[in-house]
Amino acid sequence: MKKHKKLFRYDNVGILFVLPAFLYMLIFVGYPIIRNIVLSFQDVNAGNLVRGTKNFIMFENYLELFKDDVFRTSLANTLKYTVLCLIFQFLIGFVLALFFSKRFSLAKPVRGILLVPWMIPVTVTALMFKLLFATDIGVINYILRSLHLISKNIEWLTTPGTAMFALVCANIWIGIPFNMILISTGLTTIPKELYESASIDGANKVQTFFSITLPLLRPTIESVLILGFIYTFKVYDLVYVMTSGGPVNSTHMLSTYSYKLSFEMFKYSKGSAVANVLLVILLIVGVFYIKATTAGEEE
Amino acid sequence: MKRKKWIALLATLTMMTGVITGCGSSGETQETAEPAAEEESSGEEAAVEETEETASAEGAEAVTIWYYWETEGHQVALDQVIQEYNASQDSYQVTAKYVPFADFKKQLSIGASADELPDIAILDSPDHASYVDMGIFEDITGKFDVSSYYEGTVNSCTVDGKLYGVPFGVNCLALYYNEDMLKDVGCSVPTTWDELKETAKALTTDNVTGLALCSVQNEEGTFNFVPWLWSTGATSYDINNENGIRALSYIQSLIDEGVMSKECINWTQGDVMNQFISGNVAMMENGPWQIPTMQSEAPDLNWKVTLIPKDSEYSSVLGGENYAVISGGNVDGALDFLTYATSEEKVKFMMEKFGYISADKTIAENQFEADSPYQPFVEELNYAMPRGPLAEWPGVSDAISLAFNQVITGTATPEDAAAKAQETIDGIVK
Repeated sequence: MKKHKKLFRYDNVGILFVLPAFLYMLIFVGYPIIRNIVLSFQDVNAGNLVRGTKNFIMFENYLELFKDDVFRTSLANTLKYTVLCLIFQFLIGFVLALFFSKRFSLAKPVRGILLVPWMIPVTVTALMFKLLFATDIGVINYILRSLHLISKNIEWLTTPGTAMFALVCANIWIGIPFNMILISTGLTTIPKELYESASIDGANKVQTFFSITLPLLRPTIESVLILGFIYTFKVYDLVYVMTSGGPVNSTHMLSTYSYKLSFEMFKYSKGSAVANVLLVILLIVGVFYIKATTAGEEE
Repeated sequence: MKRKKWIALLATLTMMTGVITGCGSSGETQETAEPAAEEESSGEEAAVEETEETASAEGAEAVTIWYYWETEGHQVALDQVIQEYNASQDSYQVTAKYVPFADFKKQLSIGASADELPDIAILDSPDHASYVDMGIFEDITGKFDVSSYYEGTVNSCTVDGKLYGVPFGVNCLALYYNEDMLKDVGCSVPTTWDELKETAKALTTDNVTGLALCSVQNEEGTFNFVPWLWSTGATSYDINNENGIRALSYIQSLIDEGVMSKECINWTQGDVMNQFISGNVAMMENGPWQIPTMQSEAPDLNWKVTLIPKDSEYSSVLGGENYAVISGGNVDGALDFLTYATSEEKVKFMMEKFGYISADKTIAENQFEADSPYQPFVEELNYAMPRGPLAEWPGVSDAISLAFNQVITGTATPEDAAAKAQETIDGIVK
């Protein structure tokens, strides 16, 4: 009886609440991660997946990867893609959030409609953009030609450089609503009184923005950027549908290359090594996220 | 404070779950997607399910089949054979499950490590050797008479002299041409590479490109590239020589001279066929399985099939599916069904419904009328060679399709592309 009382003491109740989620994570997240890490240190291919010995070759998979051109391209691609998408999504989302924070008729319904790109399944968006960017039948080439900006159709998805551009465009379109909504929510938390007193003191719009809005939004901005980084960095479906990593491996991301190695080429260990590189990078970002979200509370 | 950190850590980890289990999680979604696909496929499945219940009540053993045909006609034909089989005996109850082609290899790999495999798999022939190497297929040497089958198809399921499968049907690639367009420009049917390029040039207008072939960077692309490679005398494993470079240069010149669209690198064989029947493409490299669709979707289009034009020798590539019996499953039941399904009567029935050519030479030679559009494919089969068989074929295939994609997109010269492909292949085949 006494023991029970201790267990259900106020301080411990919290732990009990967390416990189910923790156990769930341990089984469904922890176990796959550990299996994946073990797999990446072994030499597992079609020949010894089911039978035979799985030799531990330690870091050899990783060493081979860093000598692999396609891996290096996909790592660079993933970073380039993430950074470009983040910058534009964030800036456009921010501007839209500021715009819709003004009170005008239809502000709310229009803001709601702008959420549509975020709700459409990514595979559908990807197919849509694949058609938009098609060389001969694509709307984008049609518009550019009608405006006499180009004389010959641009081969968007079949030229290495422009294929990446098309992917970034598609993802920016998807990500804008996410940034807009989170920043909009952040804006509503800034007390109106601050703006009122600033205007009494004679501050202009630009000064109010940089001295009130931006500093008070800092925690929101940090979260938006870090969450955005994580969502963008692990992109898979968009690339798989639009280019499948092509042309000539020029748009492979870590995720698509990992899939290709594991399930098209039967190099399971190498594939999981790529997935682990992805994991490590995201873990580092995750630590920053925790720091950013808890920093404010500790003060 | 510490506790909050914990919660934050948990939250972050949850968010990243998708990444870490990247492979695993996509597998899960596929599994849920399958039953839906099955329901869509046809009412026949439901009928199979019903008979299963009544029969299993009597204690029949279950035999499951995985296949990847998305065409409804294929699914219906296979189901009919299965139902007839189930009605013909009481010991086994066969059910078939559709797994999308893009996920088929993945599902077999996952199934192998999780020990959840079907009893029979109907799989793409170039992958056969890899799964034999994985050890999931039963050695069925001597259980089937494959002596009258096309040699290439039997080779695709033979490893170290042992038979690990039975060819289901066979196909190969040939050249389709739009007869009206060819007549309009007064060209005869091309038989050599030079003639092909001249004809394609004559056929190319503002709205029509002369030639198209599926050039995606995967096994499907490799399938379409190797006839050109082999026609020069080069082999799949020996590319960095005069012959291999000539094949790459030829494809590059088709793109450079505008007689083939660069878009081909994003066109599957189905896309190529659609471009052909909508009149955007005058000639295409494609397989016989497109014929039923072409006949129903474009009945007025006037097209014919001929051998793929040659450089130094006629050449085509062997495709098709093999049956494989999974070891450790219901082997007896699987063998019993296969014996039934490979009987001449059933083979003829399925081949006709599928638009396939029988892998059995004796059946194939009398399968079609002389003027049937399938007949040129039967002739082309004499020049068709299999890919592999090699457990590491996916690696070789990747090198070949990459090399062709490099020259098509202009990211490498034929010489550099050949050298790089050779380096990769040498690393695989020592």
